[in-house]
Amino acid sequence: MSDASEVDTLITDTADRLFSQLCDHESIQKAEADGQASDIWSAFADTGFPWISISEESGGSGGTLLDALEVLRLVGYHAAPIPAAETGILGGWLMSSAGLELPSGIVTVLPNGSQGLAVERTGDRLTISGRGLRVPWARVAETIVVPLEIDGQTFAAAIDSSECQISRMTNMAGEPRDTVDFENVDVFAAVLPSEINLETFRFRGALSRTALMAGAIEKMSQLTVSYTNDRVQFGRPVAKFQAVQQHLVWGAQDAALARMAAESAGREANRGPALFEIAAAKLIANQASARATKACHQAHGAMGMTQEYPLHHLSRRLWSWRKEYGGDAEWSSWLGRVAVAQDADGLYPLITGGSAVLS
Amino acid sequence: MNNRLSGETIDMRFTPTELSKQELELQREVRGFLLEELPPGSHEPCLGMAARKNKEFSLKMADRGWVGMALPTEWGGSDRTAVDRFIVVEEMLRWGAPVGHHWVADRQTGNVILKFGTEEQRERFLPAICRGELGFSIGMSEPDSGSDLASVSTKAEATTGGWIINGTKIWTSGAHENDWFVCLLRTSPLEDGNKHAGLSQFLIDLKSPGLEISPIPFLDGSHHFNEVTFNEVFVPETNVVGDLGMGWHQNTTEMAYERGGPDRWLSPFSTVEQLLREARGTDLEPVVSDLFGELIARWWGIRNLSLSVARLIDTGEAPSVESSLVKEMGTRFEQEVIEKLVHLIDLEYSPDSDSLFERLLAQCVVTFPGNTIRGGTIEILRSVASKGLKGLPA
Ligand SMILES: Cc1cc2nc3c(=O)[nH]c(=O)nc-3n(C[C@H](O)[C@H](O)[C@H](O)COP(=O)(O)OP(=O)(O)OC[C@H]3O[C@@H](n4cnc5c(N)ncnc54)[C@H](O)[C@@H]3O)c2cc1C
Repeated sequence: MSDASEVDTLITDTADRLFSQLCDHESIQKAEADGQASDIWSAFADTGFPWISISEESGGSGGTLLDALEVLRLVGYHAAPIPAAETGILGGWLMSSAGLELPSGIVTVLPNGSQGLAVERTGDRLTISGRGLRVPWARVAETIVVPLEIDGQTFAAAIDSSECQISRMTNMAGEPRDTVDFENVDVFAAVLPSEINLETFRFRGALSRTALMAGAIEKMSQLTVSYTNDRVQFGRPVAKFQAVQQHLVWGAQDAALARMAAESAGREANRGPALFEIAAAKLIANQASARATKACHQAHGAMGMTQEYPLHHLSRRLWSWRKEYGGDAEWSSWLGRVAVAQDADGLYPLITGGSAVLS
Repeated sequence: MNNRLSGETIDMRFTPTELSKQELELQREVRGFLLEELPPGSHEPCLGMAARKNKEFSLKMADRGWVGMALPTEWGGSDRTAVDRFIVVEEMLRWGAPVGHHWVADRQTGNVILKFGTEEQRERFLPAICRGELGFSIGMSEPDSGSDLASVSTKAEATTGGWIINGTKIWTSGAHENDWFVCLLRTSPLEDGNKHAGLSQFLIDLKSPGLEISPIPFLDGSHHFNEVTFNEVFVPETNVVGDLGMGWHQNTTEMAYERGGPDRWLSPFSTVEQLLREARGTDLEPVVSDLFGELIARWWGIRNLSLSVARLIDTGEAPSVESSLVKEMGTRFEQEVIEKLVHLIDLEYSPDSDSLFERLLAQCVVTFPGNTIRGGTIEILRSVASKGLKGLPA
């Protein structure tokens, strides 16, 4: 077994190879048109990757959160059109933490928990009514997990998707973000351990998006370096022009920054709450994706504006993920409150020490 | 050593790293030292590496083994790592400590002498550097050679026992207060098509006869820059650093030490910290609070990148592309921080405001345009870095 603080390189290599084979331009395009990609999902599920970091007793594949985040980074890098985060470190995590048995199929989760739902409780049974918005891949999910808070306690309710009404919606990348209606659905809700609540769930969601975004920005940066070295104008590759080099350098910086932030946050989350690191990493990923998509699109000229060229698989995902599990305003305001609550002398120790100085 | 200075064999990667127990211990020790020497509120913080010179302070740091700390013990150093040096420098800069006296010697000159100098030069200079005694200047730029540094024309001509130097260096920070400077000089005439050849590095006593130092007032009237003219200045043979004609290579190596460290992203920190100190007890407007959130996130991210470069240096690499990327990003960030403060905080700050925050902010506004110029402009850095960027895997 590898050191728990490092990713097993076998995971990186295997996932990278798998997605390189499955997620070519046409397959991603087709998944978008079809609103799902069952072949990509089954090949992915066959490896057991979706359930990494969930213990084998709960029906998972074992391994650490770091391993799972590495797979997500590669999902982002290859723009793999699959609900990897939802099935694994979000929905799967909630279910296994609550002692629920994982289904063999896709799991998804209501990003906003029970917000906007009417929940009635009778003993261990709950009745849920109302509408869940922007639920990733609900249309193909076997189970929909709703994290909810009742009387100060947090529960995970696992709902059979056939008991809900699902209307198709997408994000800007054409990934399913469905509307789910519940009408007096009876569910069993299992109590979650005290360290998991709606706030920590939100951070977990943000962590999943930083890993995906770090991968996508890096691929976008590499794609742009390659494209501009091939594209010739005025008798030389456009990458030789300084104005273009500026876009390349800025794109590469944001790729490095977002990946560093995602990996540092992952390392901390693998040990404990990591609230500071996750908030900072999501804000960094949000802003880095804004800058990098702009630079990379500019360096591609008109080609980047076409469906036939793959840049949009990455850029449209980044524009979408930037707004999922907290946009810039939410995280800067959370971090700002934390920063200002330190006195001036505590400000730098917060930067060097992170969550450890908050506890 | 993997020679990555050429920018050819690149597999760019910033690996996350964190401080070990001993390294955290050093961080605590440095913080304790600063708390004692410069209690918050007791001193006017300096803005990063453009710090005041305070020899007494440098001597005290040297007493702790924090000047030239990465140099071998046999030359008076502490044989510490690049990461240890990172920790000390980071704490000094965020505190706004007056590190100006030993700054250049500690960051680059000591390394150059260790790497390329003769045994005699090491003996003569390194222990004195590590004691915090010697202040060095950088003699690269000339009136007609800025970004195109290889075009320098200040000449050294061989004579008995040494060299005679004629020409002019410019923008020399601190030459009026320092003891020595390392100069890049032309030792054989410019060849067509090979301007990197024929350059050599020299150690020059700033008190040498024939050497004249004249101030070039900085835009705020302060004395920072100088013009240094050489009029038949004699420099003994023993002051040539490294091999004749290898100056360009040595100089490039020296620049790699200059880049990517905390001095490239911490300059506005004291100002931001002071804003929070003065705002204590008052409610900050949400937009200002949000700005704090954004800034600490960025500082956290950039610091992690910069720290990973130091770690890489400790494995024997010269990560020139990585450090150029960090420097380019870090210095732009420094300016962005100040622009954001200026945008949000509606005060008519001035260099003699009663409020320390306002004084610092005024100083940042006026001096920070230089941050993306000194040590190589960001335009030049981008040219260097872009050649080492990775495209799609084959
Ligand atoms: C605060 C400060 C302290 C300094 N201290 C020292 C010191 O101690 N010792 C020392 O030797 N020097 C020092 N310098 C000088 C510094 O190294 C030079 O300013 C720098 O190398 C740029 O040279 P230049 O000012 O002549 O600008 P120029 O080279 O004239 O450049 C002018 C503009 O043109 C751009 N440019 C030039 N060539 C290119 C190109 N090929 N591609 C794209 N853009 C280009 C530059 O980026 C810049 O924007 C200091 C500078 C500052 C601001």
